[in-house]
Amino acid sequence: MSNILKLTLYQLGRLVSLLFFVSLATFALVSFSPVDPLQANLGQSTLGALSAEQIERLKIYWGVGIPFWERYFAWIGGFLQGDLGISLLYRREVSIVLQEKLANSLWLMTAAWVISGFLGILLGIIAGSKEHSLLGRLINCCGLIMTSVPTFWLALLLLVIFALWLGWLPIGLSVPIGLESTAVTWADRLRHGILPILTLSLTGISSIAFHTREKMIAVMNSDYVLFAKARGDSLWRIIRRHGLRNILLPTVTLQFAAISEIFGGSVLIEQVFSYPGLGQAAVKAGLGGDVPLLLGITMISAILVFSGNMIANILYGCLDPRMRHQWQKAGRQ
Amino acid sequence: MRKKYFTMIMLFLLPAFLFGCASQEANELTVDRKDAVIIALPSTAEPEAGFDPVYGWGAGEHVHEPLLQSTLTVTNEDLTIGYDLATDMEVSANGLSWRVDIRNDVYFTNGDRLTAKDVAFTYNTVKKLSTVNDFTMLDYTEAINDTQVIFHLNKPYAIWPYSMANVGIVPEKNYNSGYGLNPVGSGRYRLVQWDKGQQVILEANENYYGEIPKMKRVIIVFMNEAAAYTAVKANQVDLAYTVASYADNGAQGYHLLRAATVDNRGLNLPAIPFDGTKGNDVTSDLALRQAINIGIDRQALIENVLYGYGQAAYSVCDAMPWFNEASVVAYDLAAANALLDDAGWQKGADGIRQKEAVLAQLNIIYPADDSLRQAIAAEVANQLQNLGIKATYEGVGWDSAYERAQRDVLVWGWGAHTPMEMYNIYHRAPQDDLAIYSPYANETADQLMDQALTADSLEHSFVLWQEAQALVNEDIPWVWLANVEHLYWCRDGLQIPSQKIHPHGHGWSIVNNVDKWSWSE
Repeated sequence: MSNILKLTLYQLGRLVSLLFFVSLATFALVSFSPVDPLQANLGQSTLGALSAEQIERLKIYWGVGIPFWERYFAWIGGFLQGDLGISLLYRREVSIVLQEKLANSLWLMTAAWVISGFLGILLGIIAGSKEHSLLGRLINCCGLIMTSVPTFWLALLLLVIFALWLGWLPIGLSVPIGLESTAVTWADRLRHGILPILTLSLTGISSIAFHTREKMIAVMNSDYVLFAKARGDSLWRIIRRHGLRNILLPTVTLQFAAISEIFGGSVLIEQVFSYPGLGQAAVKAGLGGDVPLLLGITMISAILVFSGNMIANILYGCLDPRMRHQWQKAGRQ
Repeated sequence: MRKKYFTMIMLFLLPAFLFGCASQEANELTVDRKDAVIIALPSTAEPEAGFDPVYGWGAGEHVHEPLLQSTLTVTNEDLTIGYDLATDMEVSANGLSWRVDIRNDVYFTNGDRLTAKDVAFTYNTVKKLSTVNDFTMLDYTEAINDTQVIFHLNKPYAIWPYSMANVGIVPEKNYNSGYGLNPVGSGRYRLVQWDKGQQVILEANENYYGEIPKMKRVIIVFMNEAAAYTAVKANQVDLAYTVASYADNGAQGYHLLRAATVDNRGLNLPAIPFDGTKGNDVTSDLALRQAINIGIDRQALIENVLYGYGQAAYSVCDAMPWFNEASVVAYDLAAANALLDDAGWQKGADGIRQKEAVLAQLNIIYPADDSLRQAIAAEVANQLQNLGIKATYEGVGWDSAYERAQRDVLVWGWGAHTPMEMYNIYHRAPQDDLAIYSPYANETADQLMDQALTADSLEHSFVLWQEAQALVNEDIPWVWLANVEHLYWCRDGLQIPSQKIHPHGHGWSIVNNVDKWSWSE
């Protein structure tokens, strides 16, 4: 019991310190960034029509010229009380804006993450266990292409094929154009999510497939597999008994680390598909100098990525009895 | 074994294909297309803070009619002032108070009557909170009775009617911090739905006090350039903004709609010699500035850079009521070169002119994220060779652009529906002896512009603005190149009446008169 408590406290401590440093670094970067929020949000020609007095007032609103430390302490003071502040751009509470955007983005990212993980592992195993076969080479080749393709280009390509030429799927947005929200069904939302999910998962597959393949090849060339083959075990049996167990650890690590990649990829994807998610909001907040919103998004993504790694850590124990024993031993000492 | 893999993959992909095929028809809109229209506007046109005039809905970089709310005045097609809610107005002799009478038959969409109290509340709130509206000249607003309101100003401001055209009136009773999400107004349309980051759906206000809109449902989707183009190609929108580089690649069933604008691009020419921080030794020469003004072939620039989709510009406010038509100059390369010869700019062996120790050399800067301005910088640099002026061009970030423009030539974009822009460009900045964006000062022109602000009538103020412009035209502290036309793909059959000149920025201006759009049979 105390073991679990210790572990939880340890992880919690890590999370707190991570959030602290991430927020500090983000704040510092924003302060040093050359983005002038007035120029970015009002535009050069608006500024031209404003009086100097009004420009001064706006500078105060956007926090121009307020020392970095003062702004940071004001923000972190609120954050510790659970107050993320008010978005300067949207003029609503950051937590509400985040909720809206997360609701759009989270299922997209989760679906892409699950699909890319599943297909990646599957294809990696096939390619690794049949390294020299036609299928193995084909997977390898496709994987290489997928790694080299820029995400937004793939998104455009899929858009042109499925939305423009074939007309099967919508050209963007998360709901049908002009339809009132009461009439929007889950099938509509799903249809609008297919292309973004497909793009996100396709670009995620290759890295996981390659790592799995690499490990699988190593396993297939090992003495114990040679022995298993000599014993007459079928390929499936070898994969199940020796392959899966050995590839699982690195694959789990990689798959959970891929959360950050999916997050980054969604920024580009949402632009192409006019999809109103967290990625678009992050771009707007960053370019527009909306510090509270940007900090909110950064915190959320830091928590997501951290949780991913933590889950991977916990899973190690479940997957690998050796590690479990080691931890237990360490706990006892 | 192989069969198993195959089945697994197929199981995974099947739903995607099923959905793709099954719901092809669901794409089609379910409303009656006869009186509905779908418009694609840039993502940047979406008002982040919602449809709240207090926070800049309808105002700012891109001034447009707020549609959901009524304004006191409106700008007409020729940018003169007309009335919306107002029925009469009068300014006091000292120019400090404006009395405005308003209609008594106007109701908000929630059924409440719009009174002078709501007007006073709106202006006092805008004054207190506003972001992009400049109301520093307003002291306070008071409602005398239900139909009369008085604006008390800090200083005379003859162009006040233009400020009144920017502010949608909100109901005092229903105004709160969430107003932008659920706007209640008295305009031609009411907001049905706003899917943030994607689209808004507007419906005609059947109780509107003016002409009831013909277009009953207006759907506006927010997309970037490429997505809007795809939407046209996929036949999913009726009107979509586009840019000149796409204009040659139309889609079946669409035609190109060109909207005239005052969305200008121009160059500042620092008018004082370099003093260590400000000024430029080359452009401080008056003859050289005048030579550039007549020595640049604006038409060629428009052909080369804007693919022909633009109009030559000669001021920051072409075609506005305060525009002085004498600003227009003819392109004359020979005269330009003669000006330079006479002023002592001698051509060297390499064809570059020199006057005493000063080499005719310019560095034209442009905002690095703006490809159009980059192309303009390159084209101008190229054309300046004909004058014996050597020009380089360089992209800079906005963080340094303003400061650099104090000594270098920058490609600017302006174009507002108010003479204040001209004022801020040419007039000396407060507590400074030079103008704010590019070093220049002309005391007589400044006095004329100050007089224009305190003039007793708009007509009189227009004349004074024009006189100030005439003086500025002798100095050429800025040279204006082109007004960029705003381009749209328009579905054949959609009838769009003529529009007032669009201001800077591609945005809501196109829907200013959406209530009068119609479909031909």
